[in-house]
Amino acid sequence: MQSGLDARHLTKYYAAIPAIRDFSLTLRPGQVLGLLGPNGSGKSTTVSLLTGLREPSTGEILFDGRNIADYPAEYKARVGYVPEETHLYTFLSGREQLDLIGRLRRLPGDLRTRKIMALLDLFGLTGAADQPISGYSKGMRQKILIISALLHDPDLLILDEPESGLDLAASLVLRHLIPILAARGKMILYSSHVLDYVERLCAEVIVLHRGRIVAQGPVTQLRAMMQRESSLEEIIAQLVTTVDPAGAAREIADVVGQHA
Amino acid sequence: MTPHQAAGDRDLVRLLTRLFLRRLVDHDVISPHADRHESLAVLYALTVSLAVFVTFFLSVTYLSAFIQLPGPAALSALSDRFLFIAASITTSALGALMVWDALSLEPRDAAILGPLPISTRTISVAKLAAAVIFGAVLTIALNAVPSVLYPAFLTLNIGGTRGADLLQLIAVHATTVTMAGLFGFFAILAVRGAVRLLVGEGGFRRVSSGLQSLLVVSMVTALLLAPTVRAADVRGWIGVPVEARWPARPVLWFLGVNETLAGHLVAETPIVPPPRFLFVDIPTNEDRAARVAYRALLPRLATLERHAVLSMPLVIGLALATFLWTNRRLPERSAGVPAASRMRAIARRIAERCTEHDPETQAGFFFALQTLTRSAAHRTLLAIAVAVGLTHALMILAQSGRHVFEVHSPPASMFAIGIMSLLSLLIGVGYAVRVPAAPAANWMIRMTWCGDERRYTAGVKRAAIVLVTVLLVLLLPLHLALFGTRIAVLHSLFGLVLAAAALDLLFLFTRTLPFACTYVPIENPKIVWPAGFVSLLLVTYGFARAERWGMETPGKTIACGVALAAIALGVNAIDRLRRQEQRPINFDGRPALATQRLGLFEHVTTHD
Repeated sequence: MQSGLDARHLTKYYAAIPAIRDFSLTLRPGQVLGLLGPNGSGKSTTVSLLTGLREPSTGEILFDGRNIADYPAEYKARVGYVPEETHLYTFLSGREQLDLIGRLRRLPGDLRTRKIMALLDLFGLTGAADQPISGYSKGMRQKILIISALLHDPDLLILDEPESGLDLAASLVLRHLIPILAARGKMILYSSHVLDYVERLCAEVIVLHRGRIVAQGPVTQLRAMMQRESSLEEIIAQLVTTVDPAGAAREIADVVGQHA
Repeated sequence: MTPHQAAGDRDLVRLLTRLFLRRLVDHDVISPHADRHESLAVLYALTVSLAVFVTFFLSVTYLSAFIQLPGPAALSALSDRFLFIAASITTSALGALMVWDALSLEPRDAAILGPLPISTRTISVAKLAAAVIFGAVLTIALNAVPSVLYPAFLTLNIGGTRGADLLQLIAVHATTVTMAGLFGFFAILAVRGAVRLLVGEGGFRRVSSGLQSLLVVSMVTALLLAPTVRAADVRGWIGVPVEARWPARPVLWFLGVNETLAGHLVAETPIVPPPRFLFVDIPTNEDRAARVAYRALLPRLATLERHAVLSMPLVIGLALATFLWTNRRLPERSAGVPAASRMRAIARRIAERCTEHDPETQAGFFFALQTLTRSAAHRTLLAIAVAVGLTHALMILAQSGRHVFEVHSPPASMFAIGIMSLLSLLIGVGYAVRVPAAPAANWMIRMTWCGDERRYTAGVKRAAIVLVTVLLVLLLPLHLALFGTRIAVLHSLFGLVLAAAALDLLFLFTRTLPFACTYVPIENPKIVWPAGFVSLLLVTYGFARAERWGMETPGKTIACGVALAAIALGVNAIDRLRRQEQRPINFDGRPALATQRLGLFEHVTTHD
């Protein structure tokens, strides 16, 4: 039995409209896999299928060789997830939110308290820990989400735009944290628009466009495929961009400059 | 300011008012995820059908009379109008309480509009305009149908009523109830503004939710008590100024407006029997006596009218002034709650011990308490439940004021006070757990869910028991005064055991996760709610009688206690048995579509 995550030929329809088609991926311990694609390419649907929050219309997801649909609770116990949107219980404080997550994850009391206090401190949230989340900034909410995902030491981390809203210091911490976690045997799926991050962190990437995989493999292999020494940004631009970015930028500047 | 700038400002205020109104309806009245048109249609249909039902119910005597005598009709209409005015004030006030947090500038306004080149004054004027339009539309929507139907039904069998009189009656009724509704709406706005002004921004943030709950309890209690007011009570209150209790006085002021403007149209109408009844002996003496009694009330009604005319601008002025003063600056981000106190830490440790160190039970316990006390929707549901118990208690106590009973052998209705309060609170909790704490954040519990709802639900039940205990402690002084120490303590203990059994019973058939599943409305509410209400009364008074019997001798007390404990243990055993088999939780349960319920489109399948 091969340990890790295997998604096989996933397809997801929303009212007969396909959001993703024939999607497959393999993620092994210690690997960081990037998931890229423009808006509406099916990234968030893919992530929601891989977290087990939605079921695929066809295809299967295996974790350590077992279909996750057969043991959803056990699978979720080993997954940490940072969603794209920062939806939290805003009437709770940051500490209460983490306490709730820790309790539902069945973390013993002392360990839970110790971990929460330490992580709040390391993410610079100790001062705001007892304030309601309704008063938190986007970055502070994002930090709570990241701590929630890490609290139970998951084997698989699914991160959807985790750097969104973070300040510079927290961004840098995250950039260093991911390789460390991977080195400790965690599997990490990193979905992002920030190509610079993905290029630095992920050895391998999947590029989605209109629900289909249009490129998959190590960044070096993609460069070779494009037959030039391109950056990841240039590769993605060639694969999924249908407009001329420079031309579009000029047109936007022209519209902005219009006066009555 | 140039005329061009002034016109631009007006356009901006109009634009922002539309934005705030849209948000009031989309985010604060109905869920942002719901279909706005469908939700509003259902809400309005519900309100109108309830209003039509009440109007018909009140008008049965007028509609069924062959000849309606004007004098008695004018007198009995006093209590009907009292109910219409009270309902208008309280429902409009409840409308304002429903959008409590949106009744002033919020941090989200600062976040969205702050960066734009718009003055704070323009934003606050637009916010105020949106609140006023919302209040006015709500009041008119609530009162439109009864304003036409009630005067028409009242005068249907009064032969001498002219068409012009009927139109005037309709206009005056509509004006009065609309004024009353606006009074209720602005009164809430004024209370909110005055408290905010008195305690400051930080203080208001601390007391706001408590104040909102208190006002919800008061308004729902007043709304539920209004139908119990009899015509004789209203006449008594009008006749003797000091007799009317304070909450009834604003209602009497607006009653004064109605009667001063249009009361004579009914009371002074000549008796014109229909042609078929020309030779029937009409009880003119009864009519004459009623007219005399009604005329005697007119001077006092005129005084009450003056109170209404004076109070309206006062309340509106206070509401507008406090609103504009407290909203002269855009709010800053919430400064948060005070740091955890030592008392809170001790309470938390005790609670953690009571939940057996089991993390999932603790999660259910703490999350239930946090949601029920902090989420606006859940707090409102609990406030309504408490108001039902309070209304019942006030009715029983008002009745008992006319009878004297021995402290050691109180009537069963006295026992029913505590039982009804407990059961209505538990029903409120049972309903509130079906409402998600925050629908958008449900993913978090779904992701962390370990698949066993029993421990989590046990924690939620313990949180409910804490609320029951608080209620019993609050009721204890009343029980001590009514029953003496021994019976009061026993009654509280029995109440606690009954609450445990009732909780198990409430959760017996639910296999959803409290606060974490999508809300699925009750199917067939027309059957479930009335049947539930009758059952509540039967259980309350059945148990009250049993308890009264149990308090007669120590032997009976033991027998009653043993029987109650056996029931509680039995229900608990059934609950455990039903939950032995672990079943998957349906987090995304959806109600059947109306077309599916009708069976019209059974052949149609939907794709996910």
